[in-house]
This record gives sequence, structure tokens and C-alpha cells, in this order.
Amino acid sequence: MQTIPDPPISIQSLTLSYGRAPVLDGLTLQVPAGSITALLGGNGAGKSTTLAALLGFERADGGTIAVCGIDPGSDPDAARRQMAYLPENVALYDHLSAIENADYLLALSGERHDRAAIAGALAAAGLQDQAWDRRLGGFSKGMRQKVAIAVALLRAVPVLLLDEPTSGLDPRATADFNALLLAVRARGTAVLMVTHDLLSAADVADRIAFLERGRVAHEVAADGPDRFDVRALHARFQIGGERRAA
Amino acid sequence: MSLYVHELRLLLRQRLSRFAILLLAILTIAALAAGMAAVARQRASIAAIPAAQAEDIWAVADYVVRTRDSGSAAYYSFHPTWDPPAPLAFAALGMRDVSPTILRVRALGLEAQIYDGDAFNPELALPGRFDFAFVLVFLAPLFVIALFHDLVSSEREAGRARTLMALPRGGQALWRRRTAIRFALLWLSLAFPFAIAAAVEGVGAAAIVAVLALIAAYLLFWIGAAAAVGRLRWGSVANAATLAGAWLLLVLIVPTLANVAIDRAVPVREGAEIALAQREAVNRAWDIPREATMRRFYAAHPEWAGSAPLGTAFNYKWYLAFHQNGDAEVAPAVAVYRAGLMRREAAARALGWALPSVGVQAALTRLARTDLKAQLEYQDRIRAFHAALRRFYYGYLFTDRPFDRSDFDRAPRYERFAQASDG
Repeated sequence: MQTIPDPPISIQSLTLSYGRAPVLDGLTLQVPAGSITALLGGNGAGKSTTLAALLGFERADGGTIAVCGIDPGSDPDAARRQMAYLPENVALYDHLSAIENADYLLALSGERHDRAAIAGALAAAGLQDQAWDRRLGGFSKGMRQKVAIAVALLRAVPVLLLDEPTSGLDPRATADFNALLLAVRARGTAVLMVTHDLLSAADVADRIAFLERGRVAHEVAADGPDRFDVRALHARFQIGGERRAA
Repeated sequence: MSLYVHELRLLLRQRLSRFAILLLAILTIAALAAGMAAVARQRASIAAIPAAQAEDIWAVADYVVRTRDSGSAAYYSFHPTWDPPAPLAFAALGMRDVSPTILRVRALGLEAQIYDGDAFNPELALPGRFDFAFVLVFLAPLFVIALFHDLVSSEREAGRARTLMALPRGGQALWRRRTAIRFALLWLSLAFPFAIAAAVEGVGAAAIVAVLALIAAYLLFWIGAAAAVGRLRWGSVANAATLAGAWLLLVLIVPTLANVAIDRAVPVREGAEIALAQREAVNRAWDIPREATMRRFYAAHPEWAGSAPLGTAFNYKWYLAFHQNGDAEVAPAVAVYRAGLMRREAAARALGWALPSVGVQAALTRLARTDLKAQLEYQDRIRAFHAALRRFYYGYLFTDRPFDRSDFDRAPRYERFAQASDG
């Protein structure tokens, strides 16, 4: 059985530039197994670039980055086998059903699951059974996310990357999603969630990292029954992130 | 289910893709059927020749036996020649559409008979008929554009590109699989009906394989063009417009302009002008003293110089001699004309290396033996047959031997000369 290095996500002093403009400037971040880390920051702080580097879309100029011990820059396919990724807008194939979409994405992940397993994952992701064989044309964002989450559940990968997962979701859908995320964490998955939504992050995250100018400026861990002092975080986030980004 | 089956399902669920592939298959089948029908008509016409010829010769013989005059026999007897279609001709009708495939000749001046109908018809010559070559060269690129212009850009525009790229088997391998599936479907839409039609027509395996390879190569060229445009990361509409422009340029405009340039660089008189020159030479001969005509003829054909002198009355020796003198008079023009045509053909073939549409068309018509070379070879066979006809009739005429009904059966038959093209 494969041993997953812990933390599954490990970034050390990462630097990355677009042309001459530095985007990540000494970023250091660890996401342990069975935990959720929310990465917050203003526009241009480097959140999406961090995800792109983890996915192997961008190569670092310096520092180290590892997903389960694999450098996604040098072996992206091997790294991608260890992680699932949910973009901000989960766009799937409208002319395929939920089960067919999941089946296809699993095939692209190099995995094969029978219909019963896929249906079980869709049910676990909270998608009602009437929707399983319906084409995705009429699905809401929340329903599409559930299909993508079902794929992540079936893949049982040690790392889950989320890009603004709750933007555009109504409160009930957000609550459903967060519950699902906690279930994923309980399986031992390391979850890195890029978000603007401090409240949602405070609900589920074990740690919240604030990104400023390409590096983690503040990092706080959940503590006690109230987990986070959201008011204090909000004030710090407003000062540290949005205002500077503006 | 393998990834290829997944990709196939994904593609065939899209209405546009289904429609495009089905339409290409239908157009291919229609073009093949049209080509086979055209070739079948030509074969039927050729098959009907012996009966019609026998009837015709019988009627001529009824008249000739009254005088037993070999000159009358030569003058009134038409002898059919034909250019049987090669087995692959159905796929690329080429010049068989614009030049005669059956020509009835008499032992008179030949060049006027050959070039009588050789007038350039731009309407027929440019786009060609609706045959398999037309579908492949002109239409297939449009289907490649339809299926490939948004191969990557559609995923980007739909917001799926990152999701797909983030999967272990969703990177470049995904685009390669999708390219392979689309290529295979387009190739099968063209190749499968073609292979069946070719088998029915009795085309040899080597020719079938060559055409199948040609189809693949031409599709791959256009797929490469679509991939090159795709690398610019423009939107799907811009990709489609760019590729449509490339199609217009590479398939229609540049070949047409190149054709005009070749025609200007290698000026060639029309064949009909040779026919006219030969006729004028023959007509002038009526006003030239007979002795001068015969002197010239005997100088060129001393084997008949010992023939009895002409009287004062009309004599077919003189008539046929000035016809042959007319051929000799235009022979240099014929040689120049043929050389010019071959230089144009060579230039067009050279162009084919730079312009795939021209190259594929040239290769198909060569394989199908429907190109200029095949047409000139047919003319060569006619000339050889006509020379034999002259020798046959001159053997009676210049030795003053009577010509009987049974002599008609001794006349040369074209079958012996046609064999060269029957393969």
C-alpha cells in the first residue's frame, strides 16, 4: 500500500513570476492530511497561481512544491493522480447525464467504477436520485458541484483543491457543500480551499491562511468551541487583503 | 469502457458532429454512385460499339461493292476507337468528362478528327464533376474544419479546460485521443464507402491502399492546419473563420490563380485551332496541282511511289494523299501543342507538392488514369490505329486492287490497340 507523505501538500519558499512580475514570493504553506486549509487573499494576491502551481499548470521559479511528495512541475500526471480539483464554476458536459459525466471524468482519472458505485457517490454527494440520469443542461451550480465532488469521493485521492467553491451558492447549498467537505476531511483528505468567503471558510476550515503579495501574511488555526474570531479576522482581512489589493 | 469509447460517445452525442459525419458519408456515397453511373454509361457505350459498327460497315459495304473502289471504302468507313475507363475511373472522372472516350475515325486526315472537339470549356474544367475526388479535395476540408476548429477552444469557452487538464489523463493525451477519434470517423466516412465501391469495380489492392493513404494524408494536412490555428488560442469563431479563409485560399483561389499563371507561362493554342489549320491545308490542296501534291506525298511515302499515275478524273489516291499532306503540315504544331500540354501538366504536378488540393487531385486522376497523360496515351493509340488503317487502305488504293465485301473483315480492328489501356 502506498504511503502518503504528510503533509500531502507542502510548499516551501515558492517563487513564481509572470514575465518580470512576481506573483508568488516565498510562499510557504503546509496542508496536513485530514484537514481543511482556507487560503484567503485579495485579487492578485496569488491564490489562483498557487492552485495552478499545485496542478502543474505553472512551473515555479524557485522553492519547492510537493503533492504527496511529487513535484507537479516535473511530473504533473503523477501529481494529478493524487489530487482532485474543483474549479470555481464546475463546467461539465451538458449533453451527458450526471452518471455519464462522472463516468467520463473517472475514466480521465484512470479509474473505472460501475454504475452502482457512481450512483452511491452521487448519493453521498447529496445529489437526488431523480437527477442521476438527467442531462446536466438544467443543473444548478450546486448540483454540478455535487457531481464533481462525487468523482472526488470515488477517486479517494489524498488531496482536494477547491477554487471559490461556495461563490454563487445559496445559503442552503453552501451549508450542504460544507457538510460534504467535512465528510471528505473525515476520510483523511487534505483540502486546500481558495476563497473570498471568510464566513464559509471559518465554518469548515481548520486553518485559515491570508495571502498577501504572494506570501502567507497571517495564518490562524481553529481554536476552542468558537473556532475563529470571525470579527477580528474580518477586520484583519479587510485591512490586509482587499484594501491593499484595491 | 476505454477512453476512446468515452470520447466517441461524447462526440456522437453532439448533434453537429453526428450531422457532419453523416453528411460526409452521404456525400461520399452519392459521389461514388454518380462516378460509377458515369463510368457504367461509358462502358455501356463502348460495349454497344461492335453491333453498331457491324451494322454501319454492312451498309457501307452494300454501296462499295457496286464499284469495288477501295477509295470509297476508305472514305465512307468509320472505324471506332475507344478509351475504356480504368477500374478506378469512377473515383476521379478527370478529363474523361471533358474529352471524348469514343472516337470514330476514317483513313482521312487524322488531326482534324482528333482535335475537332478539343475546345476549352472552363465551366467543366475548373471545379470538375461531382465525383469522389471532388468530395475529397473540395468538401472534406470543410468537415475537418467543422470538427476540429473548436477542439480545444470549445472546452476553454465552456470553462471545462482546467477541469480536464487537471485530470491525470486529461492533458495533451486528451487532445490526441479526440483528434484520433475525429480523424478516424472522417477517414471512415470517406474510405469505407470508397473501399466498397472500389471492390465492386474490381480495383486492385495496391490502388485501393494508395487512395486510402491519400485520403488519410489529405485529412491530416487539414487537421494539422486546424491544430496550427488552434495553437493561437483564439476563440472558436475566429478559428472557424481563419480556417474557412485558408480553405478558400488553398482549395479555390490559389489553385485557380496558379492555373492562370501556368497557362500564361506556357501558352498553348487550342486543339481546335490545329483542326482548323489541318482543314485549311486540305481545302487549299484542291487548288494545288495534283502533281505537286502527289510528289510531296510520294517523297514522304516512297513505298507507294510506284503506283499507277492519276487520270484526269477524281481519284481517291490524290484525295487521301492531300489529307495525309495536311496532317504532315500541322505535325509541328501538334508536337508543340502536346509538348505545351505536358509542360503545363508537369508544372501543375510540381505545384501539387506545395498545394495539397492540387497534389491530391493530380494523384487521384493519375491513379484513375483520367489525367492528361492518359488522354494523350489514348491519342497515341488512335494514331497507331489510324496509321494501320492507312496502310490497309493504301494497300488496295495504291496498287489498284479491287475492294470486296470480304475485305472489310480484313481491316484493322482497334481492339489490338486498345489493350494497352484495358488494365
